[in-house]
Amino acid sequence: MTLPIIVTKGTRAYPPRMSEFTQLFWDGLVAGRFLTTRCNACERPSFPPKPICPHCWSESVNWIDLTGKGRLYSATTVHAGPAVFSADLPYRVGIVDLDEGLRLATRVLDDTELDQPVELVVLKYEDGPLYGVRGIPA
Amino acid sequence: MTRSNNVAILGGAATPVGKLQGVSEDGTQQLEHEVLGRLIVEALADAGLEKEDVGSMIFTLPRPYTQQKYFATFMANYMRLPCDGLVMEVLGNGMTPALTFQVAVDQVRLGRTKVALALGINFETGTPAPEHMMSSMRATGDVDFHTPFGFTPISWYAMDAVRYIHEHGSSREDLAMVAVKNRRHASLNPLAQFRKPMTLEDVLAQRPIVDPLGLYEVPGRGDGAVCLVIAEEEIARKTGRPYARIRGEGFYHEGAHQISEVPNDMIAFEAARRAGAKAFAEAGVSAGDLDLAEIYAPCTIVEVLVAEALGLCPRGQGARQAASGETALGGRIPICTSGGLLSLGHPAYVTALYSYYELLEQLRHRGGERQVKGAELGLACTELGNYNAAMVHVLEAAA
Repeated sequence: MTLPIIVTKGTRAYPPRMSEFTQLFWDGLVAGRFLTTRCNACERPSFPPKPICPHCWSESVNWIDLTGKGRLYSATTVHAGPAVFSADLPYRVGIVDLDEGLRLATRVLDDTELDQPVELVVLKYEDGPLYGVRGIPA
Repeated sequence: MTRSNNVAILGGAATPVGKLQGVSEDGTQQLEHEVLGRLIVEALADAGLEKEDVGSMIFTLPRPYTQQKYFATFMANYMRLPCDGLVMEVLGNGMTPALTFQVAVDQVRLGRTKVALALGINFETGTPAPEHMMSSMRATGDVDFHTPFGFTPISWYAMDAVRYIHEHGSSREDLAMVAVKNRRHASLNPLAQFRKPMTLEDVLAQRPIVDPLGLYEVPGRGDGAVCLVIAEEEIARKTGRPYARIRGEGFYHEGAHQISEVPNDMIAFEAARRAGAKAFAEAGVSAGDLDLAEIYAPCTIVEVLVAEALGLCPRGQGARQAASGETALGGRIPICTSGGLLSLGHPAYVTALYSYYELLEQLRHRGGERQVKGAELGLACTELGNYNAAMVHVLEAAA
C-alpha cells in the first residue's frame, strides 16, 4: 500500500501546519503511506485524522493505512487564485471519494473525468510533502 | 399568523453597491460611519419612527480593511444612542448579514427592545482580489487539509456546477442564463452595481475564472451599506405604514465544512432543504405559495441548486427553468428580482441585508419597474460555506 512518490521542485505555496498528533500523518506521507484515524468504539474511519471520533466522540482511535484508491467526484480548474498560488495558475483541484468511504479534496494532476478511478500520490516538495490524485486505468 | 410576538421589518435604507472605498484625487474619501449614519436616519424616517424608539443595534462585522475598529460601539457614540438591548457586531462568513438580521429579530422577540436596527457596511474594494483571497480561502476550507491545494471560495461552487452538469445533463448555456436573467433584473434596480444589459453570448465570451464558470457567472467585488428597522408588529401596525411580517424562519447546519468527509449528494444542498422546510412549516405555507424569492447565490449554479432544494424547481430542472424564463420577472416564480449577487453585487458582509431590503420593497409594492405584481409572500435564503448552513425567512406583506 505504498503511494507513488513524485519528487517536486520548490517549496509548498501554503504549507500545512503540523501538530504532535498530525505529525504521524505527514511523516507517513513522506514514506509513501496515507494514514488516517479509525474509531475503536464505532469503527468508522475519519479524514483528516482526528484525536476524537467525529461520529461518536470517542477519544479512542487508532491509525490505519488507506489504499489511496478512489473515484473523482468533482473537479474544477482555477484560473484566478490567491496571491501565493499565482505561479501555479491555472491548476486543477477536485473532490475524491476513497474506496474506504471517505471524501477528501486535493489537487488533481491530470484531466481525469468524473467518476473515473484515481490514486493518491505523494508530492515530495523540498520543504515537506503534499498529496494529489491522478487517473489510473479502470 | 397567531403568534403573539410577531416581528416586522418596518423600514430600511441602502446605498447603491459599488466602489465606495478609496481616496479621491482631491484627497477625500468616504468614511464608514458617515455613510452608515446617513442610512440610519433615512431608514428610521422610512419606518416612521424616532431615534428614541431604537433600543438595539446589531452590526455586521466590518471587513478588516475598514479603518475604524470596534465599529458598533463607535457608532453608538457617533449617533449618541443609549441602548437597553444589545449593541454588537456579528460574523459568520457569507451568512454574516443574515445572522445579524436574526439577532436583531431575536432582540425584539425576546422583549429586550421594541425596535432594533440590523445594519452594516462592507468596504473591501480597496484590496485587490488576489490579496483578498489570501484571507477568504482560509474561511472556506480546512487551512491544513484544503487550503494548501489552492481552493478558492468559489472553486467549491464550480465543482457543484461540474457535478450538476455531469448528473443532470444540463448545459453550460442553461446555467449561464441565470446570469443573463439576473442582469435584466438588475437593470431595473437603482441599487445594483452591474446594470448594463447583457446576452448569453456576452456571458459565454468572458474569460474563465473557475471552470466552467466565467467572469460574469461569479460575483464581482463591491462595497455597500444597509440599515433595516426591525420592530414588534404592534409598533409597525401603529405607524399605519406597510411592512413585512416575518412569518417563518429556519436554520440548519449540516455539520460539515465545504465537503462532508462521509460521501453524500453534495449538490442536494441538504441545509437549504431542511432550513426551507422548517421555515415553510412555521409559516404554514409551501413553496408554491411564494410570489418571489431572494436567494444568496454567489454563482449561477448556486441559485439553481437552492431553487431545487427549496422546491421552487424540480430536481435537475432548475437550470433549464431559468433558461426558459420561469424564474425571471414575469415568470412562474421570480428569483432575485434585485439582480442577485451576480448583478446587484456582492458586498459580502452586508449582501443578505440587501436581500431582505428587496423583499421589503417588493412586499410594500415599491419595486418600481421590477415590481412583482401583487407580491404578498416572499422568501430569503442565505448560506455559508458550500451551503453547509442555510437560513431561510418567509416574509409576508402586511399593513
